[in-house]
Amino acid sequence: MNVILKVILAVYNFFVGDLVILIDVTLTMVILALINSVGALAALQGGSGLILIVGVLATLVATLGREVARPENKQKA
Amino acid sequence: MQWAIVIAAFLAAAVEFVEAFTLVLVAGITVNWRSSIVGALAAVATLAVIIATLGVALVTLIPLDVLRFVIGFLLLLFGLKWLKNAIQRYSGLKFLHDEEAIYAANLAQARARGEAVGTRLDPFGVLLSYKSVLLEGLEVAFIVISFGGGGANGIGFAALGATAAGLLVILVGAFVQAPLQRIPENTLKFIVGIMLTTFGTFWSGESFGITWPFSDLFLLMLAALYLVVSALLIMALKQRLPHVASATTPSEATMLSQEKEVRQ
Repeated sequence: MNVILKVILAVYNFFVGDLVILIDVTLTMVILALINSVGALAALQGGSGLILIVGVLATLVATLGREVARPENKQKA
Repeated sequence: MQWAIVIAAFLAAAVEFVEAFTLVLVAGITVNWRSSIVGALAAVATLAVIIATLGVALVTLIPLDVLRFVIGFLLLLFGLKWLKNAIQRYSGLKFLHDEEAIYAANLAQARARGEAVGTRLDPFGVLLSYKSVLLEGLEVAFIVISFGGGGANGIGFAALGATAAGLLVILVGAFVQAPLQRIPENTLKFIVGIMLTTFGTFWSGESFGITWPFSDLFLLMLAALYLVVSALLIMALKQRLPHVASATTPSEATMLSQEKEVRQ
């Protein structure tokens, strides 16, 4: 593994270390950016706060769901 | 908002410094206190330089809206990571952090080097202490810098909270001279996870032009919401994994690997 890749991996592990959290939070931000910049979606701007909060909670549920779905944890259940 | 920043930084720093203290203690006992303290002080100085340079550069060079978005986004990632880990430990999906076990495992490993305890500076002792304080402290440095960049002029307040936590851990540690296993680390991590996620949501929302109802008071409501949802998730996971929740004591043979996992 080259040095740049190692640095990227270290930064990723330091900040998040979980792909579900990274993708879901990024997706929420992209949705908010679209609502803010696309005229056709301007009607949703009033609900941006709610969308953000729901996005955060959905991320938490999704990442924990993935942990539970891991084979070793399925055996525990 | 400043009091919340002080508390969040204090709690986060307390957790990380308790973990770092365990390894500083190992270095002090197995090598010598001189090497251990020099390593720890060097790491603290490095962290102070990181906070002073990066923190000031971020606040002065980057526009506030951009900074709020970046900081909010990173705080969300960071907070959700802490919160997820804390929920997993409460529900039994992950082993609880056991400072006594980590201390014993590292002590055995350091003693296995078979060198006599001396009084001269020992590179191993300095490095062990330096590495542990620096690695644990980096997360605290990030939190302090984030609060500084969040627009609440909070870098001083966050640094104050972190310094107070550091001094408290040193004082208590010097008094008991043993791993601080009675500190409820997971509870602190849970609270910090909630606070980081709350601030992350609040600031990233503001960067998109969201005006939160009740202004800063909304932080408390948001924290309460995340707390309730997290509690419900813990209950749901405990019901799903009833017999795992009690199995929180790691065997000695797997302590080091679990410690690596736990520190992620």
